[in-house]
Amino acid sequence: MDENTLRSEANSAFGFYGTWREFAPIAFTNLLLIIVTLGIYRFWAKARERQYLWSRTRFIDERLEWTGTGLELLIGALLVVALFVIPYVVATQIGQAMILRGDSVAGAILFIAPLLAIFYLMGVARFRAIRYRLGRTNWRGIRGGSDERGFRYGLSSMWKTIAGYLPFGLAIPWSMVSLWNERWNAMSFGPMPFRSTSSPGPLMKRFLLFYLAPFLAVAAAAAALLAMGLGIGLDGDFEPKQAPIGFFMAIFAAVFLFYFVLGFVWLAYFAKFFRTVVGGMTLGELEFEFDAKTWDWIKLGLGDVALLVVTLGLGFVFLGYRHWKFFVSHMQAFGEINVDALTQSTTRRDRHGEGLLDAFDMGAI
Amino acid sequence: MTGAEVAAFWYDGQTARRHAGVVQWRGGDDLILRGADGGDMAVAIDDLTYVERGVLDGAYSRRADDGFRLVFTGAVPEELAARLPGGQKFGKWIDRLGLPKAAALFAGISAVLLAIVLTAPTWLGPRVPQSWERRIGDAMIGDLGNRLCHTPESDAAMAKLVQQLDPGRPITRVGIANLDMVNAVALPGGQVLVFDGLIQEAENPDELAGVIGHEIGHVRERHVMQAMLRQFGLSVLLGGLNSDIGTGVFGIAAMSYSREAEREADIYSREQLARSDISPAGTADFFEYLKDESGETPDWASWIASHPMPEEREDAFRDAVKKNHAYKPALTGAEFAAIRDACTNDKDVEEFDFF
Repeated sequence: MDENTLRSEANSAFGFYGTWREFAPIAFTNLLLIIVTLGIYRFWAKARERQYLWSRTRFIDERLEWTGTGLELLIGALLVVALFVIPYVVATQIGQAMILRGDSVAGAILFIAPLLAIFYLMGVARFRAIRYRLGRTNWRGIRGGSDERGFRYGLSSMWKTIAGYLPFGLAIPWSMVSLWNERWNAMSFGPMPFRSTSSPGPLMKRFLLFYLAPFLAVAAAAAALLAMGLGIGLDGDFEPKQAPIGFFMAIFAAVFLFYFVLGFVWLAYFAKFFRTVVGGMTLGELEFEFDAKTWDWIKLGLGDVALLVVTLGLGFVFLGYRHWKFFVSHMQAFGEINVDALTQSTTRRDRHGEGLLDAFDMGAI
Repeated sequence: MTGAEVAAFWYDGQTARRHAGVVQWRGGDDLILRGADGGDMAVAIDDLTYVERGVLDGAYSRRADDGFRLVFTGAVPEELAARLPGGQKFGKWIDRLGLPKAAALFAGISAVLLAIVLTAPTWLGPRVPQSWERRIGDAMIGDLGNRLCHTPESDAAMAKLVQQLDPGRPITRVGIANLDMVNAVALPGGQVLVFDGLIQEAENPDELAGVIGHEIGHVRERHVMQAMLRQFGLSVLLGGLNSDIGTGVFGIAAMSYSREAEREADIYSREQLARSDISPAGTADFFEYLKDESGETPDWASWIASHPMPEEREDAFRDAVKKNHAYKPALTGAEFAAIRDACTNDKDVEEFDFF
């Protein structure tokens, strides 16, 4: 191994050493400026936040650097308004007017076409956001990107999502994994392409658990009601107008459990999904791994909720920090990387940020 | 001659190899980067930008290539430090002013903009020509096709009622919507719709007159135009917030405006009833009915409701009834019956559904 080959060992490839005390002045000045500018500053706020988070993230022996700017994100958002929001509003207004005039067919088309466009653009947005973020992430002066622009991926995203739901939703894991592979196989860092080759097989057990959970929950609830009914029947003094508090508690608990259990089961599936798809990725000689278990995701979610509740919502300025820290601390990489072979990316970069993704309020990965 | 040699490392933006060596400066406009591995590189000082790597740790990049990174590891002499660019903290404009001043300035501008958007509709709305509003309204909703109930008798009765409430100014169009809901609305373009459900609940024509008078009041006071302008202004202005803060502010502003508008429309309705010698008692009965329907609501609810409380409105109409005065009925029994039966007797009326 020559001196310009870096070796990545377990638990050492990625490190995050930010602290919330350091981040607080950034978060609170961002919040202040967002409020006094009626939200326009949030593009610069996002750039400042990422600059900090990236600079506190180490890969092997060097920090990451965020080179994106607030202006880029603003331009991205303005493009979305001009190319998408305004046409959308106009189309739906005209559609509404036509339906009111009784021209239902043309009106319905003007209503449905923008919805299809949203569906398509959501796929494009997810692709372009990863491309944008890789293109603005420097490590040792080298950045990533993609030669594709995401328009074809948008079509794939449409048909695979539909195909995933068609067999009663049973192919959803297939569509999620296949789209993940398609996204990442189009991405590169420096001259090296990402390779993503996961298959949905390992996910099916947990997905079926999620799939069957509602039926199991309904069965359990029915059994509980039956048991209560029997109990009441034995006592023989159930008055619907003065139902015992325990009765309402039982119903409340059932509804609560239904949603929370379902949420947790989904997280169990999602944790496995994320471990699987990240584990199926390589970059040159590097292999990746993500080691967050279901319980880690649950803790992240509950922590978010607690933070928001305790701070009456203002804690949202720390959510980005929490999520990035979670992501980096669970990320692993193994293998070797030759820094002389890691030359600058030749992918094209657009001068605008992830406007679409912002508009649809989605995460990138 | 000034000059310096400072220890440093850099990435050239071409490969990921880290170059260590010295930066040579002879007092001119260029820096020479001399690597221990032999690679030399010249960089113009004007081409450099400052980037923050950590809290106490800066680096320089190049305008021409954001992959380039130069980090000084030795002490930089003051003369050279004075030539090197400084960094941006919050953004160019804010850094120039300083955060407190910039924040105050932005807050001031935002407050002025909000004030304009919130007050402009009140004075701008009435200045938009009626014909424009009519055209906008027609573009938005058209003539509603066959979904309004018409019979020759009901049209005549309705025309008589409108003539009493809005004499000589046939700008408003009042139609009976074939929809079984107790409601009435004023739409853009001076179009007033009374839902058939409300007509069936009305016990006498006076009641109907009060409600239609209220909706005509909205048209007369240009409330619909104002509401459209306000909604448009706020959605443009607060679009940037893209969050619950925006919708919350928007909702509260729209609501408080709406309660005020409802009161104005009620006042217009009472004035017109008084002028045409129609009793406001019927309208008071209608609000009493609404109150009973919605049940007792606590006082605090009025802060978040779009309309004033029915109780308050009932009292206002009740107080307007002149004691020992013989009012004349708004319509004859036959005319009122024609309006009530309009939807049953109009054979080709369509259901008022939106699809």
